[in-house]
Amino acid sequence: MSNQRQASSASQVPHLSPAELSYLYTSLSLPKNPIRPDGRSPTQFRPLSAETTILPGTNGSARIGFADGTQAIVGVKAEVEKTVLAADTLDSRSLAQHGDALNREGEQGSAAVSGQGEWVQMSIEIPGFRDDDALPVFLSEMMRESLVGSVAGGNGDAAKEMAGGLKGRLVINKRWHWRLYIDVLLLSQPLAYPLPLLSLTTHLALLSTKLPKLKSTGEEDPFFDDDWAAAEYLYPRSNTSKGPLSAAPSYPVRPPVTLLVISVGDNVIFDPNREEIAVADAVLAISVTRSSDSETLKLLSIRSIDPPSRLTQPGIPNSENVNMLGATAAPGEETGGQEEVEGVWRPRRGGVKRSVIARMVKTVLRKGGVGEEVLEGLEGVEVQ
Amino acid sequence: MKSLRRDLSANPQAANVTSKVFVRSTKSGKVQKIVRELYLREDIPCSSKLCSQCPTIAPADANGNIAPFILSDRPAGTTAFPRGHYLVPDTNALLNGMDLFEHTGAFYDVIVLQTVLEELRNRSLPLYNRLLALVKSDEKRFYLFFNEFRRETHVRRGPEETINDRNDRAVRMVASWYGSHLQQSAKKGKKEKAIPAIVVITDDKENLRKCKQENVAALSLSDYVSGLEGSEMLLDMISESKDARDSKETSRGELFYPEYFSMSKLTTGLRAGTLHQGVFNVSPYNYLEASVKTAAFDKPLLILGRDNSNRAIAGDSVVVEVLPKDQWKSPSTKIVDEEAVTRNDNPDTEETEAVVTDRERKALQEEVKKAHGKNSDGKPQPTAKVVGVIKRSWRQYVGHVDSNSTGSQASGRRQQNVFLLPMDKRIPKIRVRTRQASEILGQRILVTIDSWDRDSRYPTGHFIRSLGELETKGAETEALLLEYDVQYKPFPKSVLDCLPSEGHDWKVPVSKEDKGWNGRKDLRDLLICSIDPPGCQDIDDALHARLLPNGNFEVGVHIADVSHFVKPNNPMDLEASVRGTTVYLVDKRIDMLPHLLGTDLCSLKPYVERYAFSVLWEITPDAEIVSSNFTKSVIRSREAFSYEQAQLRIDDKSQQDELTQSMRTLLKFSKVLRQKRMDAGALNLASPEVRIESEGDEVGDPLTDVKTKAMLDTNSLVEEFMLLANITVGSKVYESFSQTALLRRHATPPPQNFEDLQNQLSKKRNMELDVSSSRALADSLDRCVDPKNPFFNTLVRILATRCMTSAEYFCAGAFAESEFRHYGLASPIYTHFTSPIRRYADLMVHRQLASAIGYEGEDGHAVIEGVSTRNKLEDICRNINVRHRNAQHAGRASIEYYVGQALKARGEKMAADGVDAGIEEEGYVMRVFENGVVIFVPRFGIEGVVRLEDFVLPGESGARSVAERRELAPHRTTEFDSEEYTLRVEEKGHPEKERSVTVELFQKVRVNVSSVKEEGRGAGKRRVRILVTEA
Repeated sequence: MSNQRQASSASQVPHLSPAELSYLYTSLSLPKNPIRPDGRSPTQFRPLSAETTILPGTNGSARIGFADGTQAIVGVKAEVEKTVLAADTLDSRSLAQHGDALNREGEQGSAAVSGQGEWVQMSIEIPGFRDDDALPVFLSEMMRESLVGSVAGGNGDAAKEMAGGLKGRLVINKRWHWRLYIDVLLLSQPLAYPLPLLSLTTHLALLSTKLPKLKSTGEEDPFFDDDWAAAEYLYPRSNTSKGPLSAAPSYPVRPPVTLLVISVGDNVIFDPNREEIAVADAVLAISVTRSSDSETLKLLSIRSIDPPSRLTQPGIPNSENVNMLGATAAPGEETGGQEEVEGVWRPRRGGVKRSVIARMVKTVLRKGGVGEEVLEGLEGVEVQ
Repeated sequence: MKSLRRDLSANPQAANVTSKVFVRSTKSGKVQKIVRELYLREDIPCSSKLCSQCPTIAPADANGNIAPFILSDRPAGTTAFPRGHYLVPDTNALLNGMDLFEHTGAFYDVIVLQTVLEELRNRSLPLYNRLLALVKSDEKRFYLFFNEFRRETHVRRGPEETINDRNDRAVRMVASWYGSHLQQSAKKGKKEKAIPAIVVITDDKENLRKCKQENVAALSLSDYVSGLEGSEMLLDMISESKDARDSKETSRGELFYPEYFSMSKLTTGLRAGTLHQGVFNVSPYNYLEASVKTAAFDKPLLILGRDNSNRAIAGDSVVVEVLPKDQWKSPSTKIVDEEAVTRNDNPDTEETEAVVTDRERKALQEEVKKAHGKNSDGKPQPTAKVVGVIKRSWRQYVGHVDSNSTGSQASGRRQQNVFLLPMDKRIPKIRVRTRQASEILGQRILVTIDSWDRDSRYPTGHFIRSLGELETKGAETEALLLEYDVQYKPFPKSVLDCLPSEGHDWKVPVSKEDKGWNGRKDLRDLLICSIDPPGCQDIDDALHARLLPNGNFEVGVHIADVSHFVKPNNPMDLEASVRGTTVYLVDKRIDMLPHLLGTDLCSLKPYVERYAFSVLWEITPDAEIVSSNFTKSVIRSREAFSYEQAQLRIDDKSQQDELTQSMRTLLKFSKVLRQKRMDAGALNLASPEVRIESEGDEVGDPLTDVKTKAMLDTNSLVEEFMLLANITVGSKVYESFSQTALLRRHATPPPQNFEDLQNQLSKKRNMELDVSSSRALADSLDRCVDPKNPFFNTLVRILATRCMTSAEYFCAGAFAESEFRHYGLASPIYTHFTSPIRRYADLMVHRQLASAIGYEGEDGHAVIEGVSTRNKLEDICRNINVRHRNAQHAGRASIEYYVGQALKARGEKMAADGVDAGIEEEGYVMRVFENGVVIFVPRFGIEGVVRLEDFVLPGESGARSVAERRELAPHRTTEFDSEEYTLRVEEKGHPEKERSVTVELFQKVRVNVSSVKEEGRGAGKRRVRILVTEA
């Protein structure tokens, strides 16, 4: 049972003594400039290595390795599937009129364009966990939710192609759609909470995903070009051929990324490592994406994650320590064990302040903020 | 954030592995990305005999031998390449000029690239197979170079490079590699001068330009051919489609035909059931009418007019769309010949013409009128139009050049368009560009169709070769064989090598210890004889009967043991399986097996010992079968009778020897068996066949050789026992091989096939045809008798036969047991066992039966290969079904040709005496059209169309020339009653009864048969003209 709870929580609790936890908490919660164990600034990310299109058999794939040795591989596969419609939508009469329908593209009902969320399937494999354990299930649902929920607004050719977001992109015609299988594989033990790693890798994999080029038009049964080089990106790019090679392609629409943010006292800290999470007051998973034309980022979802600090053993103040009995002043005086004692570790309980959450979100979305920095960093990864 | 990428450049193995990525769409609708890894190697030889390097690195087999090198060290040269040259064709060159590459006069030492071969397979499977055949044969020195697997010549597709560009680059890469490779490795002593040029053959302008840039010798196909000897003939052999493509770019002509649907639209429609797929079948009487039998409907869909048939050619697998009901029509009641309607088309100019000419339109209009008329059985039928072609079944066509289409300025070497009129009337005329119009006029020529574009009224094709003068025996026979796809080339050496080395001296081993006797019964003391048509050399079967001590009889059927000589999967077996059957023409027999086997070693000749496969029954005096037994045996036939001889001997009361007695026993049993079969509902069908029995006397009237098949009791004797043997063997092999037994079935025809005939019979004769079962049909056929017209019953049987499906070979696993039935023979199971010399199916059944009875073969292990694999067996069935049908058609066509020639010879003889009166014969009306009738003449087994002008009206002389008669046609008018099946022909303005002729269905008429020189399609072939002289 406790194992189960641990699994659902942000990560395995590191074996730190209450004194160490207390020290860590104190230094991270220093007002203005917290001191992180590895000396990073609060918004600084750890370096990572990334590459895309590493699995030839998939439609798109990526690998990201963090400097702490955690690595993830994501493969994306697409399959054509028949759309099951309500019984009366497609009778033989409408089939007979098919020929007309072919000439009237664009008049399709909005229902067909919208697509369905369940067309994206995600499975996450983490060593040491069964696939029905809470952590993988929770993680995959969290990432899938922002994926299918991201709807791009705006205009432009490519954006129009993405009308309806990823779900809309998967629609081939009224009767056929793509089903996307995203398989996420964490190669190492989950040293820290793996969400950001998996999210970034999935992001890259989706950017490199291609779908075979459709040759048929309108309501015909889909028929594809057998030349893989002609395949089209799932997330369309606007300038692939023009400009120098080094110029990163620009994406009018991008898949979302989910960032892990913690608060310690009044401080907001990004890309926390395992120890940092262990003392966090609140752990939030914030999903953002870039809307196509406006330069600002868009918030997709915020999920709070049960902070592992809740499960840590509390420190015992000297006053209660049996070993220290002799040294203390008033034996038998009940302190109740609930009040904060300076320098003594107490597991965090209760909520987070509204203002802190607001600041977290702001730091991510702000122009030139963390969110943009991350997306730019990912754009730097050459996607073939 | 920083990102890093693994660097693979340091890995020395990386260059040897690459991959090929493509998208595969499966039938079930899945779309997969497929990645194939390629491991590059350096030991793929160049296969040039000049090379000193490659023999040392080429991979060797287990014995250390390497594949012999193919490309000659002294390749032929041309004026442009005096040092000799190797050719490297690209895919388009092969697509456009496969006939050239097969030509024996040029195109030797060709390097076929793997890239090209694969591309060709995607573009055209038949051409791919032809190219593979070329690579396999030694004489043309075609080398298949696996360029994609050789490290130096492998080409990686660049970013943004199209597949075509990449493949072109691969071709150039190979050419330049060959050049430098031979330069380096040529054997010492060969001076540099002797190194052949590597010539790329491509029609792609961009590729030619790049070749020049990269210093690779390259020529377009036509430029290369122009430099060869006899280029005029060769140039004609380049496919037309290339020219058409070029010209299309420059001037877009009028589009005559609607575009085909896209592939995806077709599959969508087929799946949704709005479109239907089937084989395009053109009516033999009306080239504008075709039908397509689809799975969805019982009756075939009609396709009327050129517009609706939209470039489909007889035999193509097409997709059709049903037309709205207001366009439904009844099938035509007119005879429409292409050359009669489009006689004046000009092959060069067609821009001004519409695809449906006014005359064609008029012909159709009249049919519409008919559809709206009162007639009941001509109810409008669903019509359809072709919207796509799944598979073309274009082949090579034999025909001759329409003399009207060659321009008057035919002199000179100018290239011109001519029309080729195919022998097969269902094939439209083909436009052929040729430089040798004047030479090929009046010859039988072979052409192939290259394309049929939307802007062309007729398909375009190209000349392949000439078979010789029209109406010469050689040319016409070859034409027949080509038209029916009969493999008539002499057996190759590899096949002849499989024959026993003793040749004609082969004998059954004397010693019974010999392994040849393993598992064989000695039946040499039985009184066996064979009964066959006169002059038969390949004797498949022999019979015997004897009284057993218990009062029952033992009856034996002995079949030539061909499977002893033809071992599975050797070249002889493969050749036989391709040929499928022996084809009998009037004056020629194209054997399935080499002569030595067919007419000697296997043939159950009299007085010599032969291996046989025997079926032995014990039969009670009432012809009840007690038991049956199968065994390999050795027999000695006592006598080989012809049907007549046997009949005489049986009838001759003075003959009381044992052999004759046993023949009498056989005859007695056969009659009982026949009666039993008839009682079970077997059909007594009739075919309009005649036999040609030429006794070799040149002087006599050749027409007397034309004989209708006489049915003697001995014919039926042999037939009954062969049927019995086939049925017995059929159930035995099925018992042992429930999935793979090779059987023969005759499907029960759907009742609607008989509808027309039933209508006609009840209308004209008030007779009923009950088609509910074969028994009922047999009985009702027996009742169709006209006392005044003894032939009437046969006529009905002929017509009824045509309503049925044809029998087919199949593999037992392919159908449920209830579907095995042979409808015509009323037998629940049937196979072919009794003619292994001339039918491959029988040979297969022999092997299966041998294995079923545990025969272990000479060397102790049973040969059951080909028995166990169903897929292979189904392929064989498909092939022999086609071959069987073709052989029948070829045989009939041959007889028809013979009859025509005989009539011609007679006509010429008579003409010398002054009168060409033709021959007066009896004929029967088989079908009535609005503008003519089809008449069957039993004496010659021919049926012919009689047009308006060929009716001799009362008070008119019959003896007129073709041209004169043709003049008559416009002056005549008809009254056609489609309900009563009558046609009244009269002179315009002379409706008096005594000046008109009325004919009706099934009527017996007097006809005058002669052979006349035809213009148009039949030109030279001579049409057999039938004049109705007296109704």
